[in-house]
Amino acid sequence: MDFGSGEGGDADMDFSEGGGDSDMDFSEGGDEGGGDEGGDAGGGGDVIGDLAGNEAQPDAADRDRPERSGEAREEIFAVQQIYALRINRVELIPSYSTTLNDPFVSHSAISLGLNYWWTNVLAIGVNFLWYEGLESESDLSFFIRRSTRLAVPVSAYQFGAHLNFTYVPIYGKFSMFNEFIFQWDSYIVGGVGIMRTRPVPVVDPEVRNFDYDIRVAFNLGIGIRVFVSRWLAVFGEIRNYMYLEQLEALDVALGDDRLLQETWTQDNPAFTSNVSVHLGLTIFLPFDFDYRLPR
Amino acid sequence: MMSQITKSLLVAALAASVAWVAAPTSRASAQEIQITGPLAGAPAVRRLRQHRVGRVQLVVPTVGYTLQDEFSRSLMVGLGAHVHFTDFLGIGVWGAMANFAGAFQIDTDLTTQVITNGQTTDRNRLSMPSNEGFGDQIAQLLGLASVHLIFAPLRGKLALFQGAFADTDFWILAGFAAAFVEERADVTDASVCAGATSSAACLDSQTARNVRFAPAPMIGVGLNLYFNEFLGMSIQWRAFPFDMNPSGTDESGQGADGGPGGGFPDGQINAEDQRFYFHHMINLGLIINLPPEIQVSD
Repeated sequence: MDFGSGEGGDADMDFSEGGGDSDMDFSEGGDEGGGDEGGDAGGGGDVIGDLAGNEAQPDAADRDRPERSGEAREEIFAVQQIYALRINRVELIPSYSTTLNDPFVSHSAISLGLNYWWTNVLAIGVNFLWYEGLESESDLSFFIRRSTRLAVPVSAYQFGAHLNFTYVPIYGKFSMFNEFIFQWDSYIVGGVGIMRTRPVPVVDPEVRNFDYDIRVAFNLGIGIRVFVSRWLAVFGEIRNYMYLEQLEALDVALGDDRLLQETWTQDNPAFTSNVSVHLGLTIFLPFDFDYRLPR
Repeated sequence: MMSQITKSLLVAALAASVAWVAAPTSRASAQEIQITGPLAGAPAVRRLRQHRVGRVQLVVPTVGYTLQDEFSRSLMVGLGAHVHFTDFLGIGVWGAMANFAGAFQIDTDLTTQVITNGQTTDRNRLSMPSNEGFGDQIAQLLGLASVHLIFAPLRGKLALFQGAFADTDFWILAGFAAAFVEERADVTDASVCAGATSSAACLDSQTARNVRFAPAPMIGVGLNLYFNEFLGMSIQWRAFPFDMNPSGTDESGQGADGGPGGGFPDGQINAEDQRFYFHHMINLGLIINLPPEIQVSD
């Protein structure tokens, strides 16, 4: 791993597939292994011929070789193959997520994702989040109601299911104390799916009761994945799940209209962003893989 | 809110522990090179560009934004400086002022909702003498200053679209912070807001302010990207938990479990109304390393 400032230290990360391409320059100054071997090859002549003692009469094969006017100095790069190939592998992604931007309700969830990588940088996948039973409402709603007489409509989630595309534009590697090397990458993820949510009755809870309903949701996020082995990584991700939420009406209808469900919700749905942080593991299957070219 | 953050941190720690235990060989990458590669026996990194050791790292300016605020957000503009004894350890100072020394106020949607729809009654007159003036009683962060140790255990490089390359390091900081907060001034006489309507004295109590200094621990993590030997960019997350009464309302009188209820209200606005807050923020900063020349390891 060359972090040097020498010739080989610049632009020395090539993450193309296969070991034969210059995946990453581990050379010291960029000329590791160059020079001497090439020189020997260029000036050494025919060893078998030397042993046979017929130096003055080269054979036909030797005559066909182009004449070498100088010493050859080939640069031989010692390169590392991509640590964990993703192409044609399946990624299993268990994680825990919680809300970053909602001070009233923590929409925590356990999540399971599945990605199929059709290139080393592009994947298509799905993820499923289960919220019900894991959410918690903070004391803030109570404090607000008590101090300002203002009811803040909140929502509860049951689950979310999303189809996602993942792209990896950034690769990198970290060294720790010049001893360990960790491969990592950063990715962008986005997609479309559904969320099953409902308003939580806070304005007129004695009468109102809401069922879960399906909403169409979009999501967009960024994440970082650090490889622990060739099939296991830890990841952190921030993803915004966006959808139109039907909120509870702040007004209570009078008389029998109070019982009409049509009066329980606001006239227009509200655009809602649920910015979540995911922390979890990614497991690549199969555990082993073969490089296209040998080391 | 604290339980939410604590829960998240615990889960993160658990996930990291599981990953560590499940890893078949934690040194696979480095050992692979040492044992089977052409550089067998060599250190993991040669000719390391040491961006920190023996240098002063100025972060000028830092521009940040507080997160998860309930009533008022803060745009933080500041500067920092770090001196490093080694390439992975140093000390630093950082300071930032909020909203250009209070030149403006960034209300959350909740504050706007309270101003528009909040209702003052005999039962909450002390907490909110008028809904229109609610924006004047909420707490504001004025500034932050910190002194901290900074530890950068991870050094690396990244490639963006296989076309742009940058040295990087990941760092952790821990230290002490001084937060300067402007809050609603104490109201010790409950009779000020005891009338059927909000008296002038009661309304005055809504806008009266008090500035205090709140010591707090500070922790943070960050990622530095170095574009060349002396310029870079820093992406930071900092947390500085301390007690605060962000709404300027009467909240004390909790039950035995510390939760809301019990003996509420106590009829006073004072330090008893403060709640624990996990303040945190993100920062972006421009790095200038001095001297410009960099040291390169063997």
